[in-house]
Amino acid sequence: MGVRKHSDLASYALGNVLKYRTRSVAIILALFISTSILCSVEFIREGVVSDVSASVDEGPDIVVQRLIGGRQVPIPDSWITNVTNTTGVRTATPRVWGYSDVGSGSLLTVMGVNATEYGNMIGTVGTDILDDGRFLNESDYRKMIVGHGIVDMMAASAMPLQVQVGTLLSLVTYDDELVEFEVIGIFDSDSQIYSYDMILTDLGSAREVLGYENSTFTDIAVWTNFGSDLNSVAFRLDTGIAEARVLTSDAISDSMLKAYTGRAGVTALLWLVVLLAVVLLAFTASSAGSEEARREVGLLKALGFDTVDVLEIRMFESITLSLLGVSLGISFAIIFDFILGAPLLAGYILGWGLVLLPGGIPLAISLSTIFTVYAVGLIPILVAAVVPSWRNAITEPDVVLRGV
Amino acid sequence: MTVVIRTENVWKTYSQGTPRQVDAVKDVTIEIEEGTIAALGGPSGSGKSTALSLIGLLTRPSKGKVFLGNDEVSGLSEVFRTKMRRDTIGFIFQTQYLIPQLTAIENVALPLLCTDTSRSEAEKKARERLISVDMDHRLDFRVAQLSGGELQRVSIARALMNNPRILIADEPSSSIDEALTMELLNTLRTMVDEEGMTVVVASHDPMVLEWADVRHLMHDGQIV
Repeated sequence: MGVRKHSDLASYALGNVLKYRTRSVAIILALFISTSILCSVEFIREGVVSDVSASVDEGPDIVVQRLIGGRQVPIPDSWITNVTNTTGVRTATPRVWGYSDVGSGSLLTVMGVNATEYGNMIGTVGTDILDDGRFLNESDYRKMIVGHGIVDMMAASAMPLQVQVGTLLSLVTYDDELVEFEVIGIFDSDSQIYSYDMILTDLGSAREVLGYENSTFTDIAVWTNFGSDLNSVAFRLDTGIAEARVLTSDAISDSMLKAYTGRAGVTALLWLVVLLAVVLLAFTASSAGSEEARREVGLLKALGFDTVDVLEIRMFESITLSLLGVSLGISFAIIFDFILGAPLLAGYILGWGLVLLPGGIPLAISLSTIFTVYAVGLIPILVAAVVPSWRNAITEPDVVLRGV
Repeated sequence: MTVVIRTENVWKTYSQGTPRQVDAVKDVTIEIEEGTIAALGGPSGSGKSTALSLIGLLTRPSKGKVFLGNDEVSGLSEVFRTKMRRDTIGFIFQTQYLIPQLTAIENVALPLLCTDTSRSEAEKKARERLISVDMDHRLDFRVAQLSGGELQRVSIARALMNNPRILIADEPSSSIDEALTMELLNTLRTMVDEEGMTVVVASHDPMVLEWADVRHLMHDGQIV
């Protein structure tokens, strides 16, 4: 048999989709709702995961903090030597960081670093300087490198300011004084969560803004030797330095993901329930639950349709309904997330983390996600519709038609 | 004349081996010649419809053999039996089994969708068949919009779409009045005379039995 027969069967199946309007609309609507839920959440979750991954890639292998009484306290510079001398440590550089604002009310992350040590770590956040800017030098004082968030925020402020190399910005210090900085560079970053609103400066200037005493730091960023086992180095640091809290990049990644995507599982569960309802609906509407559909299969067989013809019709029907429902769901999710900013949902998924996302919620779509969504939308519907039809199609038409 | 349908000691048992086991057809042997109208008569539950299903290859005998022409068809695979139904047999079912969402013309064109005939050709032929049974004024009407007699005529038109050698009609007069029954029988007689097909009809209607060329009466699954 040629192509003509298949096109006739497809045409008959499409006719069925249009003629069984209530059934078709119910399945498409249910798929649309379930896919919208899944994709809206998934685009946010995937965005957060890739953002966290970028943040971790741009950060150190290990962060060493000091805890006293369960609280984080400044680290004395005597720790630097201990950390540096630990086996497996390539570089250990202190950081002073905290939050400040430029008088706009928005908190910005201020991080003071050792220009030489930190700048030598290729790919570290803040080192990818754009255009005519430059990274910090050892001798720099009250110079800053800013993330794109600062540029965007100042451009959108009540008194718009185009931040560029040479711009002077004042930060509000811990004791409400204003300290003026010169912008010497704007850096690019793959992460929106942690570096969008970041200001990098020298250690001394950061201490002045954040109220740290001389020779104290917030934490120590550690890069391990190539080939060293990260956990082993972390273990040595943890056991070798009293009061140390040692965070590996994996642990940082885990805590970041927990902070931002902890509730995605609940929504995925909701999606699963809705999808189950869709499958039940398709199953009921198929030959298994509908006398009319069952009899149609018997009639087609009696009139000379082969089992594969019947299955082909049901497959065309299911694929049409699934593709339509899933495509509408994905399209809606794209509009909802990327254009409307996922109102309500973003707040639910990201929780308090939303207030730390001045750059907006991170979003991402990958081909694998789209493929998975189509697969999980299509395959269950296909199975729910085709399997009962197949069972009827292999049963004698007399039994199916007369129900004997 | 040539024998076109033959059954040899055919039995059909439903729910075999269970407490609900029923012998719907018992040891039935009949021969039907080409170009004749044969009627299976008898009361409800006598096994007429099951006998038709056996002849029409809609079910397999539990015992015995069914021949179409010289070919023993009861043992054929489902693929070949489906092909024979598609190419050789036309069905007029007791309850018509028309698809309610389709129009008259779409219902009639249905048997050709599983062949290599284009949809437009199938609908052209369906139109001709419907016109031949005086349904030209209802071509695009849905099943729900048709009367009992019109439904029966649509069913006849559909049964003739594959130019069958054998036409099987199960209680064709059950849902129509006497005048329509006469009209239906005349239509079938014309088909037999003009196209040389063989008609096997199951009915308990005396008018239909009287009209047939040959009568086989059934009772409790057996020919009496």
